[in-house]
Amino acid sequence: MSDFYAANLVLIQSTFIGILLALSVQVPMRAGVFSFAGAGSYGIGAYVSAILVLKTGMPSLLAILISGIVAMVVGLLLGLLVAHLGGLYLAMATVSFDLIVSVLAINGGDLTGGVTGLFGVLSDVTIFHLIGLALLGIVGVALTERGRVGRRVDAVRDDPELAQSVGISVRRYRLAAFVVSGLLGSVAGSLNSLVRSTISPSDIGFSLIVLALTMIIVGGAQSWKGAVLGAVIFTWLPPLLAGFGQLQHVVYGVIVATAAIFVPGGLYGIYSEARYRRTRAKRKPPQGEAPAHEQALAISVPNGDAGRSA
Amino acid sequence: MLQDLLGALGLASIYLLFALGMSLTWGTIDILNFSHGSIFMFSAFTAHLLIPYVPMGFVGVALVCIVVGALMSLLVQVVAFEQIIKRARNRNTAERQILIGGIGVAIIPLAIAQEVTKSNPFGFIDSGFEVTTWTFMGLRGTNILLITLTAAAALAVGTAMWLRRSRHGLALRSIGVDSEVSAMMGVDRRRLAIVTMAVSGGLAGLAACLFTYTLGAITPESGDTLLIKAFACIILGGVGSTGGVVLGSVLLAVTETVVLTRTSGLWVEAVAFGLIFLVLLVKPSGLFGRKEVRRT
Repeated sequence: MSDFYAANLVLIQSTFIGILLALSVQVPMRAGVFSFAGAGSYGIGAYVSAILVLKTGMPSLLAILISGIVAMVVGLLLGLLVAHLGGLYLAMATVSFDLIVSVLAINGGDLTGGVTGLFGVLSDVTIFHLIGLALLGIVGVALTERGRVGRRVDAVRDDPELAQSVGISVRRYRLAAFVVSGLLGSVAGSLNSLVRSTISPSDIGFSLIVLALTMIIVGGAQSWKGAVLGAVIFTWLPPLLAGFGQLQHVVYGVIVATAAIFVPGGLYGIYSEARYRRTRAKRKPPQGEAPAHEQALAISVPNGDAGRSA
Repeated sequence: MLQDLLGALGLASIYLLFALGMSLTWGTIDILNFSHGSIFMFSAFTAHLLIPYVPMGFVGVALVCIVVGALMSLLVQVVAFEQIIKRARNRNTAERQILIGGIGVAIIPLAIAQEVTKSNPFGFIDSGFEVTTWTFMGLRGTNILLITLTAAAALAVGTAMWLRRSRHGLALRSIGVDSEVSAMMGVDRRRLAIVTMAVSGGLAGLAACLFTYTLGAITPESGDTLLIKAFACIILGGVGSTGGVVLGSVLLAVTETVVLTRTSGLWVEAVAFGLIFLVLLVKPSGLFGRKEVRRT
């Protein structure tokens, strides 16, 4: 076990960072906000905490906290700015936001280290910090998927007009999605630069957006379980694919493309749909008005249907 | 000053050729193709691989690029986008899945090119075509610059005319306005979509050919950057307007040239992203955009 741990330390660390990154994209998606701002917040977190630790020698956890607050404020401002946008326009505005963050990092002079970035960020972050913060993130997000809040978020995503009409402030929930996404992304970025002790603009470019997105596509955007699943898969898949030799990146691409095209709900979507089918089969009445009953069920149980969307 | 303007126009022409294809599919059949950048890169890459074996000259290279681009685009449409549209519950999900699916598909050609070139730049060396320079009234340029300017102008006008005058164009525009009614009028959406995607891919291929000759070499990742820039050009002018794309490309290229020559550092990359943000905040329909006709 300890051999395995030592040999795969980098991957184990990346797994927890990946989980937080994936959650930062999954949270807004679940609320019906097609935003990639999590990747930009990752960049903000990575740079702010690296700068704080490097220039002031601040304790790591405090640096993570401060950069988290910075990213939340930026997330709120971004959310207010793009409040009237939807669909593709919102997606592209947030992609631009992410890329602007990376251009700022390139042009930040001594503060951000320019193209080469910052290195020698020595910190006392251990694997326990990583596990703890990732668990905190998971539990926090999982709580918003349950009970009253969970149902409200579902309503805001599936039918904003209806949600508004029953007194749910759609605007507030959307803004909250930006803020939470900012916090999660920032913590992921902070942990990354503190654990790796280095950060450069190439770590936060377009490829980071693609990585976060692939985690969500393959895992599923409907639940935190999908995000965790996606993060685990895409952290461990590349080394496993090394067996394909030269073809590994192509195989990786094929997996992502296939998932995006044929499994829009991700792996979690398949699971939740299967569970829905099983429970429905059990509940089937002996005979008689089965079709009508089934129709009613199909409408009243949102989970199976939702699994197919997003 | 005039020299900079000429350079800016050359850059604008590349942006235009690339963005024209994206704008064509987005404005008519509602497909924002995020694998356009990969198709662009891979068509030049195929020509690069073929050059040592087949003597082609400029026309040959351009043809290879155009054909590869068109075929890839067609393949993406049939294998990816048609399947997504078939499975999507409504327009919004389809729109989103097409964006995601495009990003997913784009990984494959990129991975192949990165693997073969080891992420090094590649070009058309010994293609049998020499890039020569000329001087005219104090302005310096290359023969490839002239070809680029001419091709961009001709194709922009051609596309606009095709959309406005031909029966194909009429059918395409009708899909853009109301796909159900156009289907009732006998428009075969599937066939038209495939043709449009192929044309769009051909434009990407031509842009790739000219871009590679202009720069001498491109990297496998250069498609990604152009993708965002083309998006900026399109929304700046307004989705669905060919004139808008022309204006957007020229504006972006001129702004970038000004930023590049007047400031130090690498701020030029921020221009496109900043413009996207600004346009979306101030006037999401763009400068020339038709009022969005939302089909529910």
